[in-house]
Amino acid sequence: MNLASPRSVNLQLLIGGIVVAIYALGFGTGYTQRVLSVAGIYALMAIGYQFIFGYAGAIALSQGAFMGLGAYVSGILSVRYGIGFDASLPFSLGLPLLVAFIVAVPVLRLQTHYFALATLIISQIILLIAIQWVDMTGGANGIGGIHPLSLLGWNVPPGQATLILIWSVVALGAAAAWQFGRGSLGQAYALMRVNSVAAASIGIDTARLRLIAFLLSSAYAGLAGAFYVHAIRVISPDVLELPVMVTCLTIAVVGGRTRTAGIVTAAVLIIELPEWFRFMQKYYLIAYGAILLLVVIAAPEGLVEAWQRILTRLRPARVAAPSRIAPIAVSWGHAAGRGDVAESPLLSLTEIRRHFGGVRALDGVSFDVAAGEILGLIGPNGSGKTTLVNIVSGIYRPDAGRVRFGGADITPLSPYEIARLGIARTFQTVALVDAMSALDNVAVARGSGRLSLRQTFSVGIDDAHLARRRGEAMGFLDLMGVADDAARPCGALAYGLRRRVEVARALATEPRLLLLDEPATGLNQSEQEDFARRMAAIVRARCTLLVIEHNIPFLNAFVDRLVCLDYGRVIAQGDVASVQRDARVIEAYLGRGVVP
Amino acid sequence: MRWTKLGAVSLAALAVGGIDCARPALAADANVPVLVPLTGFLSVEGTSQRNGAVLALGSPPAGVKATFDVSDTGVSPEVAVNALERAVSQGPVTAVVASMLGAQVLALLPVALEHKVPLITISGTAAVTQQGNPYIFRFFPGDQVVKEAQVLFAIKQYKIKHPAVIYQTTAYGQSGHGAIDESLKKHGIEPVYEEALDVSIKDMTPTLSKAKAAGADSLLLQLHGGPTALFLKAAASANLGLPIVAGSGVSQPSTVALLDPLELKGVCGETGSSPVSAETPEMTRFLAQYRKAYSADPDSFAVQQYDGTMMVLDAVAHGAKDAAAVTAALSTNSYKGVAMTYKSDGHGDMAHSAVIICYDGQSRIPKVAMHYTEDQAAK
Amino acid sequence: MITLQLLIDALAIGAAYSLVALGFVLILNATSAVNFSQGDLVMLGGFVAVALAAYLPVPGIVLLPLVLVIMAGLGLVFSAVAYFPLRRRPPEAVFISTIAVGIILQNGANAVFGPEPQAAPALLGSGEVELGGLSIGRQSLAVIATAIVLILALRWLLGGTQFGRRLRATAQDPDMAAAVGIPVSAMIAITFALATALAGAAGALLAHNFFVTPTDGTNYILKAYIAVTIGGWGSIPGAVAGAGLIAIFEVIYPALPILVPALGRVDWSGIAFSQTTSTIVLDAIILLILLVRPQGLFGEAVRQRP
Repeated sequence: MNLASPRSVNLQLLIGGIVVAIYALGFGTGYTQRVLSVAGIYALMAIGYQFIFGYAGAIALSQGAFMGLGAYVSGILSVRYGIGFDASLPFSLGLPLLVAFIVAVPVLRLQTHYFALATLIISQIILLIAIQWVDMTGGANGIGGIHPLSLLGWNVPPGQATLILIWSVVALGAAAAWQFGRGSLGQAYALMRVNSVAAASIGIDTARLRLIAFLLSSAYAGLAGAFYVHAIRVISPDVLELPVMVTCLTIAVVGGRTRTAGIVTAAVLIIELPEWFRFMQKYYLIAYGAILLLVVIAAPEGLVEAWQRILTRLRPARVAAPSRIAPIAVSWGHAAGRGDVAESPLLSLTEIRRHFGGVRALDGVSFDVAAGEILGLIGPNGSGKTTLVNIVSGIYRPDAGRVRFGGADITPLSPYEIARLGIARTFQTVALVDAMSALDNVAVARGSGRLSLRQTFSVGIDDAHLARRRGEAMGFLDLMGVADDAARPCGALAYGLRRRVEVARALATEPRLLLLDEPATGLNQSEQEDFARRMAAIVRARCTLLVIEHNIPFLNAFVDRLVCLDYGRVIAQGDVASVQRDARVIEAYLGRGVVP
Repeated sequence: MRWTKLGAVSLAALAVGGIDCARPALAADANVPVLVPLTGFLSVEGTSQRNGAVLALGSPPAGVKATFDVSDTGVSPEVAVNALERAVSQGPVTAVVASMLGAQVLALLPVALEHKVPLITISGTAAVTQQGNPYIFRFFPGDQVVKEAQVLFAIKQYKIKHPAVIYQTTAYGQSGHGAIDESLKKHGIEPVYEEALDVSIKDMTPTLSKAKAAGADSLLLQLHGGPTALFLKAAASANLGLPIVAGSGVSQPSTVALLDPLELKGVCGETGSSPVSAETPEMTRFLAQYRKAYSADPDSFAVQQYDGTMMVLDAVAHGAKDAAAVTAALSTNSYKGVAMTYKSDGHGDMAHSAVIICYDGQSRIPKVAMHYTEDQAAK
Repeated sequence: MITLQLLIDALAIGAAYSLVALGFVLILNATSAVNFSQGDLVMLGGFVAVALAAYLPVPGIVLLPLVLVIMAGLGLVFSAVAYFPLRRRPPEAVFISTIAVGIILQNGANAVFGPEPQAAPALLGSGEVELGGLSIGRQSLAVIATAIVLILALRWLLGGTQFGRRLRATAQDPDMAAAVGIPVSAMIAITFALATALAGAAGALLAHNFFVTPTDGTNYILKAYIAVTIGGWGSIPGAVAGAGLIAIFEVIYPALPILVPALGRVDWSGIAFSQTTSTIVLDAIILLILLVRPQGLFGEAVRQRP
């Protein structure tokens, strides 16, 4: 195994962890065991944070509050009703989950910093309630005398037993988190982080993914809180204060947003670090801050990434030729050749209007796309072409007008629903996950409609589902002529190849209608010709194509009809030759670009 | 090669535990770790604790050799617990000077019980001695005592009938507020206005105005040092004209340093004792000692922590060899300290008297206006 | 008269908070980095003023330029330590580096200056000023005046000078700015210096009336973050508006029963206008703004670009 590969590093950290565990259990004092127990609790909270912050890429500032909720529920049930740690678990997890669910609905759709502030304010409100509701929570003084950890009536003694219990749960939680991110689900999250619109365009329900991540985060936090309150034996509002959240954030960043092993390591480091400097008395946190600064400068992408980089430099990876994956043929889910579904147009736009601020981007656009045809949408810059495609794919709602697909009104649908109905698209700026291979970027599209937690947790080490998806993806890469570069990360590919991978990904959803947004941009002459030939051949047999371009010679080669927009209106439509000669079209382009 | 990498990882892992493993236990008569908040929002009080304790440990009675380690407990309970575990793991401990932060004391109690070490603290929070733990010894009068003194003085001196109670949203504030309300009720008085202030509140004018508008004839405060100073400043500049009896915040030298003596005119407050008032020769001696060591004035937290630590050292000087013996001595003996005489009431409350100090508007040194001793029989 | 006094108080506090929020927003615009230590820098400014006053017994207004210069210098150091090493790295790394600097500042101040609250000298003398029969706090007026001067100076700098245009260009599009020959790194460093100076000014202004303690930072960064987000992420007038809103809830809302006597006579006015309720109402309004107008009061409409 390659020393610097993620698997190897995980193994190294695991072995290191076992060594630490043996030391702590065998030779460590109560102090060693106590600090590591606290580290375990924070590790659990931080692993949970990984879901919303790492996988979903959203800066949530509510993790500390969820831990606090779990702690308060478990503590209050213990001291007021005598319910033990284990029996109260459904509630210590239940309340954070409930609050997370209620909060998620309005808040998850907010963009980064607004989402962060919303979660922060909600945390502050929970803190205020804990301080003010003295009768229930003990107020700022909190409640002491919480019973110790207990399992089925057996009091877990502090020291070794508590340490083993906490870290067993951490191990389980870490394994679950690792399994979660391992396969197609992890890939879907990766794409969602890079560009959530692109993720939606291949049928990924991003809102659902974000919700799942947020709920999982809150559950882990609640569990950590329950452990915390029974280990410390006191509940106070301190657990809801901002510094706890900051520690969680620090652990998540220092560990590496999506590296579970890194997060566990970082938790131990961050909790242990101040303890090492205790001898400095009131200066010890200065040392902690300084070390933290050094760590983040030395390893800004996370400890594990940095360690991997060191290993790679010490032991450069032997680049083995990647084994060729056999393409698995896919028969498209529908027959979409010419003459199919002849009684109605595949796509029908009626009086589409849309304005932004004072600008009328689209002013009553109507046209149809027949099944099996290749339609070119042209017009000078700013004529509304991209806006129109964004409306068809569901990113914008039109102010007026209807979009019908196969007869059904798709105007109110969201992007991922439209994608699942069979409309795929590419973007002006290629939206791929640079760190993932071309193969995996396309494989994501093969399973996007069928992502489920059950499937994620039922696959073994050899992910059969992923293997099949990769095989199918290979077929699509073959179609676009990029099969040779399948194993290379997209960040390393030339622009023209990236374009083709993106198209392959769009095709992999087996669309009935493919929208290409300025595909010729950045391609040289021969690349354009190749692209046109390829599209013509693929598409004619499989689906309908709508191409936006302002490069008309490129379109000449393979489109059947043209529609020309100018200032948000259709000014000409028909076969290529007549539109090109149309006086209005020439006038629209005059002085603004290439005239054929 | 792979094995050397593994070896390196293992060594690093060992270092994790290794750095915090025990230092060689010193042969000493008394080992008293000092675990107090030196950072965070209680660091002023924690520093007082530290100063008082270290002063005692640095000049123990004849025949006693004292060693001590000072460690910061910050604000969270788990950091305090870590500090105690560390102290205990480094060798036999005679007694522990513990943080006065209520939640931290509550977290330390089970650990003290497990390791059988007595905690010497000056926390005023009521709950601390209500847990049935035999290892807690509190050398500061509990909230019930000082707040009763505060209310009693206000009634005697100002004949209050409609007080306004202004308290902090912190543990200190809420605990004191509860005790104030109880005392008032005992004397048949109900507050006409109550307000809970966060420590970050800067402008006291809205609260002052609302209290006055509610018809308050006096103000009873339970605020930390900084907010107390802000409040008194605002009251002075608004010419409020109402008598103010404050909490221990007004007795802290750092608070007084922020105020002009005129702003303190007529202001009184409660505290355990007032070292700067130097009422007795012992107090005068302590004052000089403290000023020499720290170039600052002590408050009652400092002197009473000093007393508590001295009681431990005194017990050691009289033959208590270990934590168990010290605990027994603390539970049964009485000790005449600098500030007062301490004796346990069976629950760990050692201090049973308080004082009211008043400022005359010309000096920053207050005079003791009233001595109050808890009515033990009534308990 | 109490109403006037309360208004002036609110203005003074709002003005100081504006400076904090402005510093935060400047760094945000120039680097897309969230400076978690902005609040601790405010605290540092307060302590710098306190320290200078120990050596120079002059009115605060004389010390203020010194504070600005010292803080600007520290701002350059700050950018070198917390931002530039992480410039092309994921933005979360800068969260952590600024958090780390904040920890160092807070505990450093505790170690050097002690944990007690301390007061900085007044700008132009403390006490009251008589204006037409009404007595108004001198420091409050001075704070308002100083903050207005600083804000206007900033506006002139950014809007009316070549230098300021270059700063704005760097903030808008660093690559483009570099392409036209603007020394982007220098501009960013200067932005940090400006932001830190503004924070220091706020700290020096607040530290006379309200003292300065090492633990003040957390509170200020929270306020700055709220102000900038509800004002509109990245908007300069938005930051000032947000700061004003916070000051209103800190001073005016709890005083409503005094300002509007009718409210004071209602039974529940004690609870409805308490300081705690004021915080809750402000939180609720923030959430409402985020949900209804997520781009903030002054922000641009948020659009998803494919």
